[in-house]
Amino acid sequence: MERLKIAIFCWENLYGDRVGGLSNAATYLAQSLAKNHEVHFFTRGDDDFEMNGVYYHVYRPHGNNVVEYCSDLSRGLVNRFYQYDDPGFDVLHFHDWHVTEALHLLQHRPTVFSFHSTEYGRNGNVHGDWWEYHEICSKEWYASLIARRCIMVSWTLRHEVLDLYKADPGKIHVIPNGVVKEQFDVSIDPGSIKAQYGLHYMTPLITYVGRMAYQKGPDILVDAIPLIREKHWNAAFILAGGGGMRDWLIERTRDWPVQLPGFISDSEYVRLLHASDIVVIPSRNEPFGIILLEAWSANRPVVVSRVGGLAENVEHGINGLVVDTTPEGIAWGVNYYLDNQHDRIKLARGGYNQVDRRFFWDSIKDQVMYVYREAMH
Amino acid sequence: MKQRFCIGFEVHQPHRLKKEFRPDFSNDPEHSTERYFDDANKEILLRVCDKCYDPATSIILDQLDDGFCCAFSLSGVLIEQLEKWAPDVLDLFKQAARHKNVEMIGQTYFHSISSLFWTMDEFCNQVNLHRDLLKDVFGVEPQVLENTEFLFDNRIAATVKELGFKACFTEGVDHILGWRSPNYLYQCAGLPVIMRNFKLSDDIAFRFTCQDWDAWPLTADRYANWVSQTPGDFVPVFIDYETIGEHYWVDSGIHEFFRHLGPEMRRSDVQMVKPSDILSSEIRDEFSIPLPISWADAEKDGTAWIENRKQKNAFRSVQRAESFCKDKHMWRCLQISDHFYYMSCKHGSCGEVHNYFSHQPEHEAFITFMDVLADFVEHSIPSMDKKEFLYPLRTIPIDDAFYFSSPVGLTGHVAFDMDQFAEMLQVAPSDSIEFHHRNGDFAHWCRFVIRDEPLALAIENAQNRQDLILAADTRRHELWNALR
Repeated sequence: MERLKIAIFCWENLYGDRVGGLSNAATYLAQSLAKNHEVHFFTRGDDDFEMNGVYYHVYRPHGNNVVEYCSDLSRGLVNRFYQYDDPGFDVLHFHDWHVTEALHLLQHRPTVFSFHSTEYGRNGNVHGDWWEYHEICSKEWYASLIARRCIMVSWTLRHEVLDLYKADPGKIHVIPNGVVKEQFDVSIDPGSIKAQYGLHYMTPLITYVGRMAYQKGPDILVDAIPLIREKHWNAAFILAGGGGMRDWLIERTRDWPVQLPGFISDSEYVRLLHASDIVVIPSRNEPFGIILLEAWSANRPVVVSRVGGLAENVEHGINGLVVDTTPEGIAWGVNYYLDNQHDRIKLARGGYNQVDRRFFWDSIKDQVMYVYREAMH
Repeated sequence: MKQRFCIGFEVHQPHRLKKEFRPDFSNDPEHSTERYFDDANKEILLRVCDKCYDPATSIILDQLDDGFCCAFSLSGVLIEQLEKWAPDVLDLFKQAARHKNVEMIGQTYFHSISSLFWTMDEFCNQVNLHRDLLKDVFGVEPQVLENTEFLFDNRIAATVKELGFKACFTEGVDHILGWRSPNYLYQCAGLPVIMRNFKLSDDIAFRFTCQDWDAWPLTADRYANWVSQTPGDFVPVFIDYETIGEHYWVDSGIHEFFRHLGPEMRRSDVQMVKPSDILSSEIRDEFSIPLPISWADAEKDGTAWIENRKQKNAFRSVQRAESFCKDKHMWRCLQISDHFYYMSCKHGSCGEVHNYFSHQPEHEAFITFMDVLADFVEHSIPSMDKKEFLYPLRTIPIDDAFYFSSPVGLTGHVAFDMDQFAEMLQVAPSDSIEFHHRNGDFAHWCRFVIRDEPLALAIENAQNRQDLILAADTRRHELWNALR
């Protein structure tokens, strides 16, 4: 196989400044590519380094607001790019709007632009009317216009971008994110973790992990709790994560068997997943939904709402339950699992094995390579 | 046209590992690999000989002259045990193998899962070892292969063809066959493939004593009638030999079933044939099998042996162990598929089957396996070249492995060797890494368990996670490179 020289631009990476899930996606993709290709990763930071075969070249930007900050970052990264452009890079891959100006400066080269979400979606499927919102949207539009090829993490996101920015559908590819299964696929005794939360080891534990925000729908799960408790009096619930809705939800669930521990560390997250009997993902909007892959990796059965990447990736009755985005829907899914122990195990295993088949970074990398080759021609 | 019936038997007993084995690293001159194997092996073998191998083979021998045909696939590890503890039963098999109506078919000597390894070299070695064994013991050269529990995919097909076999057995799984019938000859990667008719096989192997079944009790005449009514070029049936008298005891009537099978087949005008007799049939279609299939469990794939984290850990450790030992026989005994089968924790109906077959519950099976492997590796290193480089890379026993933790408790991540330690530094939660690094746990483990001072020093000097990963990665590559 031909060895390509690949440049990746992303404002965050796993080993330096991390903001959200974008750092995982970009870094793991780069590491997978580096097994067969020369990969240079242009990102924020203070010192260049090499890790797992990927060369990281960094720049520390400055700016009074996020838009200026990212403009400065883009220009800085392009300067760093030219230091390594001999022999020339074969393909350039940009992640999300932060690096649009770098894409602009390098648009004469073979370019690929990845959308992980849109500003509209991040804003809860609502248009904003402040200047940064407009600025970021126009950068997303411009990137979708000038990049030779675009990658979307789900068909839902593809529709969103086509709808918002009227991008050329012919140059858009849909490639899901992957997951590093080993991070979540561990063996711990669920009983001892439940005990830490004050629960008996036989208590069915239903878990939600994510931001306490309207977009993620924790309130839908909370409204489903009375419907679940009607049939299963002993069910307990943990809703982990910080966010604006938390105080209201604490008030709402007073005297119920519900715990809202707030933000939890990565270790607690792994442990909580393994203590759970059911993981609920009740989002109202979800371009991809990485928690799905994480719950699957931990061999947990999932109940997901019928939106976005969740509905695309879960096969109802095979590796999870896809339900209406309503309290009744969620309650049906949870009750179904609690009534059918055998299916709970079967569907969890379905997801666990699906991760190996479809969401393995090395196979996702092959799909990305296909897009690179298109961009190069 | 007369229907043809081709029945085969998989005959295997593993070297079960000693329950509650404890690694012992003292320099014991008496050290022998025998101490890894359970005393129950002899007892079980003698029991199975008594209930199955002896009477069943006698029943078959009696009918051979009257046209009864069958194929035997005996694993090498079983033949070793028969030679040691039941040579008279082995003589019965030898007697059968000499008869023109019996075909001995090939498999891996160790009934191993080596066909799923990263490379196919070890699989080839074991198939060749088994081929030599059949020649030594029975004086025959196998033409057809049956891989461990019918494991099969494109890669195995190509390798088996390269090894010179004329055909291979595998399971007639629905998602490969689709609308097609298993009763014809197919092809995969240029190799003729016999797809087992699992319905007619399971009628004997699983449903024979099932009283809820409308065909219960199954009699030889009824079964022969079914076979004669089945359309196709031939009917390929393959079962565990232990079905006859071990899985089903004598009082179930299984022995009588087989005693009458030959005469009833003749009466129903069914001809019994050997696998190589059906290879002249026309090849009806070509399959591509990208992911492994097998006859195990409801999934009929590789997940009976490699699915959960314990199985994956054991699987990678056994592959790594090759570099550490000269005693390839013992290393190969650790590849026996049964060790991995015992670690499965599937639930529901499959779980029941696993529990019935399992020597010990899955977690203990894993502990025993890893401890035996660690003990074997560590005792093998002194006889190797460049042992000073090998030693820090060895597998660590269960009690001394590194278990990642955090202020809230264990995270479940575990490292059994330096390679895995480097990998876990990448995937374990960041707060866990900080917690251990602050406490000096990493350096302590590298110094006192792995006993590698250069790594311990590099870990101590690391400022952050990035440095830790780099330190472990650099050191392990340094060691592996020195070994090349």
